[in-house]
Amino acid sequence: MSAGVAARRPRLGARRLAALVSHGYIWLCLGLFVLPFIALLVQSLGARGGTSGIDNFSAAIGSFADNLWWSFRITALTLVIDLAVCLPAAYALVRYPLPGKRLIFSLLQLPLYVPGAVIGLSLLLTYTFVYRFDRSLGLVLAMAVGSFPLMLTPIVVALKDLPIVFEEAAECLGASRWQIYRKVVFPLIGPGVSAGLLLCFIIVFNEYLVTLFVHPPTIETAPLRVFNLVRTAGLAPTTAALAVVMQVVSFLAVLLFFRIFGTRHFRGTYIL
Amino acid sequence: MATVHLASITKRYGDTAAVDDVTLDVADGELVTLLGPSGCGKTTTLRMIAGLVEPTSGHVFFGDRDVTYLPPRSRNIGFVFQTPALFPHLTVADNIGFGLSVKGSPKAAVASRVDEMLAMVGLAGYGARLPAQLSGGQQQRVALARVLATDPTVLLFDEPLSALDRNLRDTLKYSILDLQRRTGKTAIYVTHDQSEAFAISDRIVVMNAGRIEQIGTQTDIYLRPATPYVAEFIGANNGLRGTITGSDGSGDSARWVVDAGGRTLRGLHREDLAVGQSVIAYVRPEDITLLDGAGVASDGQENVIDGTIDRVIFEGPTAQVRVDVGGRELRVDVTGNQRLTVMQRDGRVRLAFGPVALIPAPA
Repeated sequence: MSAGVAARRPRLGARRLAALVSHGYIWLCLGLFVLPFIALLVQSLGARGGTSGIDNFSAAIGSFADNLWWSFRITALTLVIDLAVCLPAAYALVRYPLPGKRLIFSLLQLPLYVPGAVIGLSLLLTYTFVYRFDRSLGLVLAMAVGSFPLMLTPIVVALKDLPIVFEEAAECLGASRWQIYRKVVFPLIGPGVSAGLLLCFIIVFNEYLVTLFVHPPTIETAPLRVFNLVRTAGLAPTTAALAVVMQVVSFLAVLLFFRIFGTRHFRGTYIL
Repeated sequence: MATVHLASITKRYGDTAAVDDVTLDVADGELVTLLGPSGCGKTTTLRMIAGLVEPTSGHVFFGDRDVTYLPPRSRNIGFVFQTPALFPHLTVADNIGFGLSVKGSPKAAVASRVDEMLAMVGLAGYGARLPAQLSGGQQQRVALARVLATDPTVLLFDEPLSALDRNLRDTLKYSILDLQRRTGKTAIYVTHDQSEAFAISDRIVVMNAGRIEQIGTQTDIYLRPATPYVAEFIGANNGLRGTITGSDGSGDSARWVVDAGGRTLRGLHREDLAVGQSVIAYVRPEDITLLDGAGVASDGQENVIDGTIDRVIFEGPTAQVRVDVGGRELRVDVTGNQRLTVMQRDGRVRLAFGPVALIPAPA
């Protein structure tokens, strides 16, 4: 026998209304973003021309494996080159006095705001008439040129955030330059490096425009294959199935990245 | 031998000299403090000793060896920074063992040295923790263990306690002193905190604007300030501008006679002054006896100044009395019962102090 009557929660108070609206907004945004992917999935399961949805996928995966394998190899090699270029470059940019530092950094961002077609064309010209080297290596280099700003910027930011006292402490303890870099700097800029790797992976793995210009006839990467199929066969369910596989692979790769770089050695939590 | 010798080292940044012609000798096993306000060049001096900053001119010697152009890693120093600067991705044990493992010591030797160091700083059993799991004071102790593990020739401290709270500072400064004494390492300690410098130093180097103002023990610096800067920077002081008009007495009782705004005062006889020189004569607030308006100064208190009390600030162990003496204010610190009775006084008081308490410094 309680002393009074407990107040009832108002059914639709102002606060609840606001919560509903903001939730609704978030779901709407999510819907807008995800809708195209759903449409693609539905199309890929379509049974036009007598093939069933499953057949679409088995056909896609069967002939797609080779393209995916090329994409992975090219992406991996590009990431290695990007890292090898960007780690020392970022260190030099952040830690050493350099005349015209800002200008240099802006110039290095050039590939980001030059259209892919322009990069592709200029590289094609360069490879064909200036260097004349192996086209598959050319493809990798083209990817590296287009993507390295995405690696450089997060590493520069991470390095700027890293107090120099860690390096000084290591140096006073007798560590060589290389030891400082390997044992102190690299682990502590892990978040920047992983962000760079992720960005570069996504961009390079899905790049088709530059590939279109510079790829050798023997190599067809996964995104290029999708592009070519859309051009020749239109929106066939098998093409959609290919695109879906492409998406799933990208998504899994991102998950894998977070799994690897979420570990202790790359978390790089430092305190002052 | 781990003596440190600085031979007129100078560091210029553009037109400004951060450190200007500093010469200093630190004996083996000695703990010398560089004391001064921020921007006085003490940290730059320390960083030049460490090799983190290269001097514009001058040389740094460890023993007989000129290390001026050696990188820090080749100097075998232990540098404790303002922040503990422990590597956050390594365990406490890996942090302490860092210096040994980069030099290629075998794992077992590193491990036993790490245990030894952990015990030394009172953190046995903390080896497996990450730095973030330690308190600020524990982190700084690990930083100490980390530099001691490599058995450095010289220990360098750059305001290692300034990031800690007051109580922790008080205990840790004695831990540092204790460790330095036990290991017998030559140490140079930078601080802006006088009480810290006074508590742990064998000698104190007072720096200002990139130059050394005075080198001496605590009593030298406090009781015999060489320059007006030292007199005013260390502790509280009353400065009276005047001119030396003569001297009297001889030997231990030799005095300078100073005319300070019409008042004739007798002060300590210092060899570096001469008749006719303008000086600032300093007398510490705690060296002045506060008498009644008509009080009689005791023997030896040859200097007497009459004045009126402006205000009294009760500070706990002492009371600060501001006395107006002909248009300028002198500070007198009183203790014991007098800090209570002084408040009931009428305004008229007489200040008395001996000639030994009045230190003339070249103006």
